[in-house]
Amino acid sequence: MHPTSRSWRAIAPWIVPLAILLAWEASSRSGWLSVRILPEPLAVGSAFWHLLVSGSLLHDVAISTGRALGGLAIGGGLGLVLGLLSGTFRTAETLLDTTLQMIRNIPALALIPLVILWFGIDESAKLFLVAIGVFFPIYLNTYHGIRAVDAGLVEMARSYGLKGWPLYREVILPGALPSILVGLRFALGLMWVLLIVAETISAQAGIGYMTMNAREFLQTDVVLVGVLLYAVLGKLADLVARALERRFLRWNPAYLGAPA
Amino acid sequence: MQRDWIAPPAPGLALRLDGLRKQFGARAVLDDIDIDVAPGEFIAIVGRSGCGKSTLLRLLAGLDVPTAGDLQLGGKPATAHRDDVRMMFQEARLLPWRTVLQNVQLGLAAGDARDRARDALAQVGLADRASDWPAVLSGGQRQRVALARALVHRPRLLLLDEPLGALDALTRIEMQRLIESVWRELRFTAVLVTHDVAEAVALADRVLLVEDGRITLDEPVMLARPRKHGAAAFAQLEGRVLERVLGEAPPDVAQVAPTRLAA
Repeated sequence: MHPTSRSWRAIAPWIVPLAILLAWEASSRSGWLSVRILPEPLAVGSAFWHLLVSGSLLHDVAISTGRALGGLAIGGGLGLVLGLLSGTFRTAETLLDTTLQMIRNIPALALIPLVILWFGIDESAKLFLVAIGVFFPIYLNTYHGIRAVDAGLVEMARSYGLKGWPLYREVILPGALPSILVGLRFALGLMWVLLIVAETISAQAGIGYMTMNAREFLQTDVVLVGVLLYAVLGKLADLVARALERRFLRWNPAYLGAPA
Repeated sequence: MQRDWIAPPAPGLALRLDGLRKQFGARAVLDDIDIDVAPGEFIAIVGRSGCGKSTLLRLLAGLDVPTAGDLQLGGKPATAHRDDVRMMFQEARLLPWRTVLQNVQLGLAAGDARDRARDALAQVGLADRASDWPAVLSGGQRQRVALARALVHRPRLLLLDEPLGALDALTRIEMQRLIESVWRELRFTAVLVTHDVAEAVALADRVLLVEDGRITLDEPVMLARPRKHGAAAFAQLEGRVLERVLGEAPPDVAQVAPTRLAA
């Protein structure tokens, strides 16, 4: 029974997507679904293949990924540092937290007009949008993670002679890590959303550029390739976040890893 | 197995509390506490919850600072001996992200830390769990790891804050025997806070009762070790201390009892 149920569990999640794909292909072929609205799946597949072979797809994906990771590094890095500061030092919290909580309530996308005025429409505008979007989930979760570290463990560690950096490394950082990783997962999701918007406004390369360009020429198949690429990249980011959680939280009964 | 490290570099610390007082705001939790403990002595502090016994232990551990009075360890101010004092808490307080062995190594300088931690784990009977996460251990095993973590520092004063309170009755007795045997081997001074009079009588050379922030009973336990819970002399002493603990019950409890009898 066991192997059967395992293979069933491997196959079952794919039944519905496959059925949708078949229904889509069938309705396109019968002419029921106009190419202007949705091209048939095979056309999307061949568009993907042509873009891949010509090399322009990899180029665009590389450009977009670079922007996304650059924004994540800047915004996430700042969020982590400021979150650690606010969580650790009362003074930093007093100085920073109220301000940041106010700014947090501004949706990053509401800043687009200002961002265009400040940075024009070049790379820095896109980096800025992604950075500001990923900053807050990481900042907030780092801050709360540090604050929520079990006070009993800190007291125990102090009474065992730990203080300063060793206390931070052994107790406070690992205690905050689950929360920080939750923040990272949120940030990875937001990262792509913000990048899509930023690239749609204006770009000379990247997945957003590819899709907007294709729209001009009514290449719905290429538009769909772009949409699906975003989906795949989003899923990849999520897989990376999960892998990080499994690696760093393997002590947690919820992840049940083997000790190193 | 070579265990020469286990012999402490120095015997247990003498403990001297003189007019010790601890106030939180206007309320005095401990008032005018005088206690003398000989090196290597095992004392138990009993009392109802909220009587100040845990606060007393926290003062000894340096986790709280006394409002007034003098606290000396080994004839010196308590702060001079911070590294000789180790505490076992009510909960094991193991770091969940460190393996059992790494937990025992906590706060040890490098060098032979690993070997010493392994020896300490062996001493509490958990050598084979060294690479497990604390999450997979039972409550009793976690407290044994916590004991190993304390022992590995070769404490000269071991403070025990109801470390067995959350364990089931059988595990509790096992742990009491373990604590007694390591204490007899290593001869550190031990102060056990507990609400369990039987536990106090089973382990301690002296049982102190704290009531309303004062020491109101100082009862030596002259029973041979290891002590048997069922023995007549044991039961008699346990009964006497228990009576004394309950003796000064608040008036409302005293009034309820006759009513219940009449009903």
